Amino acid sequence: MSDHLPTSKVARAAKLAGAGLRVGANYVRHAVRTATASEADTATSRARLDNDNAATLYDTFSQLKGGPLKFTQLLSMDRTGLLPAAYQERFAMAQHQAPPLSGPLVVKTFREATGRTPLEIFDEFDPAARAAASIGQVHFARLNGQALAVKVQYPGVAASIRSDLNLIKPVAFRVMGLDENAFGEYVREVESKLLEETDYALELRRSTEIAAASAHIPGVRFAHYYAELSGPRVLTMDWLSGQHLKEFLATNPDQQTRNTIGQALWDFYDFQTRRYGAVHADPHPGNFLFSAENGGTVAVLDFGCVKEIPADFRDAYFQLVRPEIYQDDAQLLPLLRQLNILKTTDSPEVRALLIDIAHTVLPLVARPFVEPEFDFGDPSFQTEITRHAEALAANPLLRAQREPRGVPHFIYVNRAYFGLYTLLGDLQARVRGGGA
Amino acid sequence: MEKDAIRAAYRAHLLRHNAPPTSVFQLTQELGIAESEFYQHYATFGAIDRDIFRSFIDDARARAEATPEYAAYSVREKLLAFYYTLVEQLKNERSYLTLITQREPFHNRLTPVYLQDGKARFEEYVEELLIEGRLTKEVVRRAFLSERYPAGFWVQLLFLLRFWLRDSSPNFERTDEAIEKAVTLSFDLIGRNSFDSAVEFGRFLFRS
Repeated sequence: MSDHLPTSKVARAAKLAGAGLRVGANYVRHAVRTATASEADTATSRARLDNDNAATLYDTFSQLKGGPLKFTQLLSMDRTGLLPAAYQERFAMAQHQAPPLSGPLVVKTFREATGRTPLEIFDEFDPAARAAASIGQVHFARLNGQALAVKVQYPGVAASIRSDLNLIKPVAFRVMGLDENAFGEYVREVESKLLEETDYALELRRSTEIAAASAHIPGVRFAHYYAELSGPRVLTMDWLSGQHLKEFLATNPDQQTRNTIGQALWDFYDFQTRRYGAVHADPHPGNFLFSAENGGTVAVLDFGCVKEIPADFRDAYFQLVRPEIYQDDAQLLPLLRQLNILKTTDSPEVRALLIDIAHTVLPLVARPFVEPEFDFGDPSFQTEITRHAEALAANPLLRAQREPRGVPHFIYVNRAYFGLYTLLGDLQARVRGGGA
Repeated sequence: MEKDAIRAAYRAHLLRHNAPPTSVFQLTQELGIAESEFYQHYATFGAIDRDIFRSFIDDARARAEATPEYAAYSVREKLLAFYYTLVEQLKNERSYLTLITQREPFHNRLTPVYLQDGKARFEEYVEELLIEGRLTKEVVRRAFLSERYPAGFWVQLLFLLRFWLRDSSPNFERTDEAIEKAVTLSFDLIGRNSFDSAVEFGRFLFRS
């Protein structure tokens, strides 16, 4: 039964062990196929293997809500080429897969937070969830004419996330062929963020603060949160209007509208990272609603994942996109060492390779920061980035590196910018980010 | 003297002293009433325990039915709402229940005296839900099995009660999960499922 969730830790472990075995079996099939196939077919078989593995893992993950689902989503956001395309596609679907809470449990959770049931408070409350996220679901409500979104968290999510992560890690690392122990610091960074997402009180506080601080940025809309109708597992906020990215793009918005929205997004992220010191680090398309009204606006949803950026990291990070820095090794190399991208233990070949990568990749990703006006719709930019990512992923010397590089703060700040670049690329917006 | 006051005094005594009063006389002295007044309402202390558990069931049902959401629920959701209301209410009674179930543990087959009135009320409620469930096609009538359904749900309630008494998760979130899954499973079992198809197939083979 697809909506039957395994409950106990043992059952979950059994599920994952099963997935591991099946991934193993997929590899065996791949080996057999390649042994009997011509050179040309080998690539096809490899793609099929990735597909098989993604399907197997995805089917398993989708039955384990909470941690793994989020973990896979996070992996699917990874644009560095660490994950083959098949994994990304499959895992990107993960956010649409979660069994709904029963109506009575929604009522109970809501009553625990507010003392009353939804219908005792709202004029209208839709018992069917309008959207499901990995740790909760969203209901539509109306009060005094105001449309509201009520987000309800699954019971036990916060408690089970850690143990689920401990179960998923060996499988995930095996699939990616990485050494788990070397990644301790990084895994802790991800875990702490996942656990934070279950803290709705924190989300309420952060979203209110970021919305207030960003109020001056034109074109960006935020929901008002209702503290008196929220609790540890319930959040009530305004229901924001707008369309998801795909639907919005299907309406063929004109270039002016695209640019206005793109500029709003750029300014919002620029403000958060450079001035505010914390950034909405979950910029996948599902967290934004677009509208062509008023010249083009974008609504920002879900402040569950916010990365606080230490000032010294921020300063170093933005040095990287300044031409006078990345063109001058005397300044660039100490910076790379400070950010732990270069290590004192590196062999000369690895060191040379990394510096070479910095010389090619930095000028590329820095373009939106450097050029007075940058066109994210320029297809050569996206292809160029993809090409580099693929080349890096295929580089044997780099693949042989079993240790992570860069300080852990990179994970979420990069995630924010990769997400932003992807959004702006899909929007084909022209943005003035230069001179910053 | 109110029946409720006697019940409350008995409960309070039990919780304070970890044991029932030594005699009805002692309790009525504490209350400042005549012993005969006690017997107008209860014959023994055991009768009070029975009445307390009955009131848990009745109150949970009444409170669940009083929510504006209840009327639109399916039968499965009605039972879910009942369980959630019950465990929510029992939070105020956890010490009492822990004490009383420790003194006399309950089993699936042998219902201890203090649960019997509550069991009768619960099974009445389930009967009503099952009748409604047949109309909404959520419940399938099956020879021999159908009349065992209420007893089956009683075992489910005991399971959930035991689960809740042992639950150490914050705010008893694990119990919420247990309720959700147990009720889903039970309605999968009593609704139309592969079992019925298997029986029909067997019948067909037998006839032909």
